[in-house]
Amino acid sequence: MVQVLEKKQINDFLAELGKKFEIIDARNDILPPKQYFFPPKEEIFTFDKKSARVSIPKIKKDFIIFGLSLPDLEAMVQLDEIMRKPQEDFFYFQRRNRAYLIGLSEDPICLPPVCALPGGDMILEKINEGQYRVLTLTDKGKKIAKSRFLKSFKNIEIKKYPDGLVPMPTLKKMLLDPEYLSDIVAWSWKNDAKIWDDLKDICLGCGICTYVCPLCYCFSVEDRNASRCRQWDACTLPNFAKISSGFNFHKTLKERYYNWFFHKFVRAYKEYGKSQCVACGRCKKYCPAGIDIEKVLINIKEDYEKYLSVAKS
Amino acid sequence: MKNIYLSQKAKIIKIEKISSDVKLFRIKRSKFSFIPGQFVLIGIWGQGEAPFAIASSPFEKNHFDIVVRNTGGRVTHALHNLKSGDELTFRGPLGKGFPISFFEGKDLVMMAGGYGIPPIASLAEYVIKERKKFGKIYLLYGARSPQDILLQKKIKEWQKKINVILTIDKPQSDWPGCVGLVCDLIQKIEVNPQNAAAAMCGPGPMVEALEKVLRPLGISDRRIFVSLERKMQCGAGKCQHCVTGEKYVCLDGPVFNYDEIDKNWD
Repeated sequence: MVQVLEKKQINDFLAELGKKFEIIDARNDILPPKQYFFPPKEEIFTFDKKSARVSIPKIKKDFIIFGLSLPDLEAMVQLDEIMRKPQEDFFYFQRRNRAYLIGLSEDPICLPPVCALPGGDMILEKINEGQYRVLTLTDKGKKIAKSRFLKSFKNIEIKKYPDGLVPMPTLKKMLLDPEYLSDIVAWSWKNDAKIWDDLKDICLGCGICTYVCPLCYCFSVEDRNASRCRQWDACTLPNFAKISSGFNFHKTLKERYYNWFFHKFVRAYKEYGKSQCVACGRCKKYCPAGIDIEKVLINIKEDYEKYLSVAKS
Repeated sequence: MKNIYLSQKAKIIKIEKISSDVKLFRIKRSKFSFIPGQFVLIGIWGQGEAPFAIASSPFEKNHFDIVVRNTGGRVTHALHNLKSGDELTFRGPLGKGFPISFFEGKDLVMMAGGYGIPPIASLAEYVIKERKKFGKIYLLYGARSPQDILLQKKIKEWQKKINVILTIDKPQSDWPGCVGLVCDLIQKIEVNPQNAAAAMCGPGPMVEALEKVLRPLGISDRRIFVSLERKMQCGAGKCQHCVTGEKYVCLDGPVFNYDEIDKNWD
């Protein structure tokens, strides 16, 4: 038996869920889903100086994030792992534990054992013009699948669609070998310096790539009069590695921009065995200078292969 | 769920001005336990948190000391305005300290430059208390001028037990000690190269220069331990401010052996 949701009943399904949960429709979001668990700016503590009382803002209601893309679901699995290790990030999980993630795929996705599921609690997968197959992946997913709008069928019509537009198809393939990506990015700093010299002249150091990245999570903490706030930071910004005495450990944009790559492809691989990238394409789409990280990595790869062939001969 | 960002309240029991812009804060605890080289995040609600190495003896369980230079930053400036009896917050001890048991039975060269003395001071307190467990012990400490030498009372006590060599940047008439960089003092050291280790903390250029001097002495990179300074904010390996190469200074450090970090791209 297969559970199916009629396309025309998606809104009814959401309205029904809305009676119990707060519904967030993420279909037209520019910012990635991290924003719902790790907001761009949040008060993590409030305090009253007179009574010396410190309190933590509570998250009161369960919520559903609807319409996440498959790369975003994959990013959420990684971000959960990052925030869990080595110690749990309290504020992230305070929200995350309350959340139900519903993915939406406009193409039929191959199911196991063909490929791994990307994550989330439930995925709605388009199988023909009028219907979505409901994939329930977790206990949370089962909970929200108890709906009169989800109907069971024995036979369903699965239409083959041409492959949807993958934002960065080559990078998506390269990500299957994170060890190789780690090697070539680490190699490039000294041996392919021209790449980084050129990029430092193109990059504006604005940090937008890190804000729109579903797997960038650096932050800074700043106190206001009665609260301690945590906000998104960006390792490409000038003062990111500056210490109180004024010394800056990453003085140049070249160092800061490379550090962004180094974290995603080298340090992340050492820490988690994966690149911290899901080839969602946001960084390219929103970069005001038009930097395309897929192209950068392809260039490094080509230079590395050239270097290897010269070294061999 | 444990909240790793929640700090504890603690009372300041003593504040001592130890140079024109540096104060020592003694913070009351009970059963406080740490390893020399570990750090704490000290905070004031409304101002923020900042990392400081613990400067006191690990044998002292009822308080710990931090040494704070007023850099003009929000936290250090606010700390300098506090009085004895005021409260602050702390998280920690955090990070990895010096490998004390590895040092035992060896000659030990401790080196500090400028404001890098606090973690070395804590280590010095430890090795002096356990003096018999170590071979020859040296402390080399360089500062800009005699007035910038911190913890002078402590140093006088240490001089009775270990070889302390002080140096200042420029000659000054009433100064009996050495003049010049800490790395120029290395000729004054006699250790058994097969059985020696080094511990240091100071500005980056000093650390690099010293490493080059220690090698001829026969002390290999893996026996040179450096305490690094970075902007640790979260103290939990998440915020990314303290990274160096593949390491997080807040979790993997702040103490590293030189072999772990000298090949870092940055």
